[in-house]
Amino acid sequence: MNSNGVIGAYSPPFRIVNKYFISATISFVLLTLAMVVSYQYFVGHHFQPRILAITHIATLGWITMILIGALFQLVPVVLEVSLWSEDLAEIQFWIYLIGTIGLIYGFWVYQIDEFFILSAALLNLAMLIFIINISVTLFSVKQWNLTGFHIVSALYHLSVTAVAGILMAINLWKPYIKIDHLQYLNLHAHVAFVGWVTMIIMGVSYKLIPMFTLAHGFSLALGKWSFWLINIGLQGIMVVMHFEDVTFLFYIFSLMIAIGLMLYVYQIGVIFDKRLRTKNDVGITFSIIAFGSLSLTVVIGIIMTFIDPSSVKNLSLVYGFMIIFPFLSLLIMGQMYKIVPFLVWFHKYSDLVGLQPVPKLKDLFDEKYAKISLVFGVTGMTGSILSLFSNMQSPLLFFFILLFISSLLFSYSMIQIYKR
Amino acid sequence: MATKDELFEVLKGVIDPEVGINIVDLGLVYEAYLDEATDKNKIIMTLTTPGCPMHNNITLWVENIVKQFEPEKEVAVSLVWEPKWNPSMMSAEARRELNG
Repeated sequence: MNSNGVIGAYSPPFRIVNKYFISATISFVLLTLAMVVSYQYFVGHHFQPRILAITHIATLGWITMILIGALFQLVPVVLEVSLWSEDLAEIQFWIYLIGTIGLIYGFWVYQIDEFFILSAALLNLAMLIFIINISVTLFSVKQWNLTGFHIVSALYHLSVTAVAGILMAINLWKPYIKIDHLQYLNLHAHVAFVGWVTMIIMGVSYKLIPMFTLAHGFSLALGKWSFWLINIGLQGIMVVMHFEDVTFLFYIFSLMIAIGLMLYVYQIGVIFDKRLRTKNDVGITFSIIAFGSLSLTVVIGIIMTFIDPSSVKNLSLVYGFMIIFPFLSLLIMGQMYKIVPFLVWFHKYSDLVGLQPVPKLKDLFDEKYAKISLVFGVTGMTGSILSLFSNMQSPLLFFFILLFISSLLFSYSMIQIYKR
Repeated sequence: MATKDELFEVLKGVIDPEVGINIVDLGLVYEAYLDEATDKNKIIMTLTTPGCPMHNNITLWVENIVKQFEPEKEVAVSLVWEPKWNPSMMSAEARRELNG
């Protein structure tokens, strides 16, 4: 491995990042498969065992797994520091994996016992190790940038998510903590999706999107506004939810978050506008659709703030589905089609450049399958949303199967790249 | 002794992996010549953006390829940020590739 470049010098070993990426890809296939076999549960309230299990396959197995792997790779490269401890990154993976499997199993069979609490505790431990590892790493950063601020905020929100998560787990087991469970669920979910997942995606995208599209000379002013609006809004909500009669403040803080997210999408548009590479490859096409979906999801989120979500059939299910699939899954798939070929290429061919012919990134996988995966994915998602709204079970099953095929095609591409 | 044209031709072997275009057509190579004072092949080049994470890798690739072409001479690569790279420095081919 080349040790001379910024990437070579600061990246953690290939094997650590790979473990997370490969587990995440397997989780994605299991996620869509779990949906196919559980389609009949997708009706009514979201607080039911199967939906909780499936949500956690998505959030812990798929999304957070990817984010942790990506951060191990990107924090060192983007902020020019070495990861504090590779051993901890390795240990964390196994604790996290066991905790995730245990928690999902507990939800799936709805067996809330000591084993379930232990799994939640293991997850908290893994998150703690992760937060410490990255935080110590961040201490040696000399040049801070907007991406760095996003990462710090995301780590803080990850800890809030984990603590709120274990409080709820204990509360499900022995309800002696006096918390309003559904309210905490709402907090846990929004802090997880906005404060942790979206915060990381935002920060990282300010580096990756310009790199992938060759964008130059854009301002990140909107990105800064978006960062502060979302962070202030989230802290506001976390505080006011503990008091009574705070509807007005709740609206204000929710709107701040929504405006922040919209400004983010606009900021991405500004970057795209300055791109030199106007030919969109498959990875970028996935990403563009995902950013469009984010705006639509924010609109639904705003509507849900002001109306009683139970007044529209399956609205909260559709909302959660839109966050996890059209926004996050499409974006992650799109970025994986860019990042994984690069990592594999860098690992295998970087030292050979100039000495012998090496393949280009786009030669590492067959774009055709990625495009078919996109078509199946987008059709499956659109169809699922319409079926959920109209509460039609058979079409829902059909569209979930399309999603499953899309995840299979995606993992086929990943296998193709790794086998190079 | 390698001529400027030969060096530029050799440098076309270094391809930006992400963009898929060689560094000469991208307009990143400003000068390539034998520096008689040091007897080294000197390459003066830039990158599309300062702080590019591929920074040192690309200069290493340039060293490798020039060294392989003319093994008896050392190679000196200097990265410069003036003049700043801009899209008009790309060849017509590179532009077609990016926008096609």
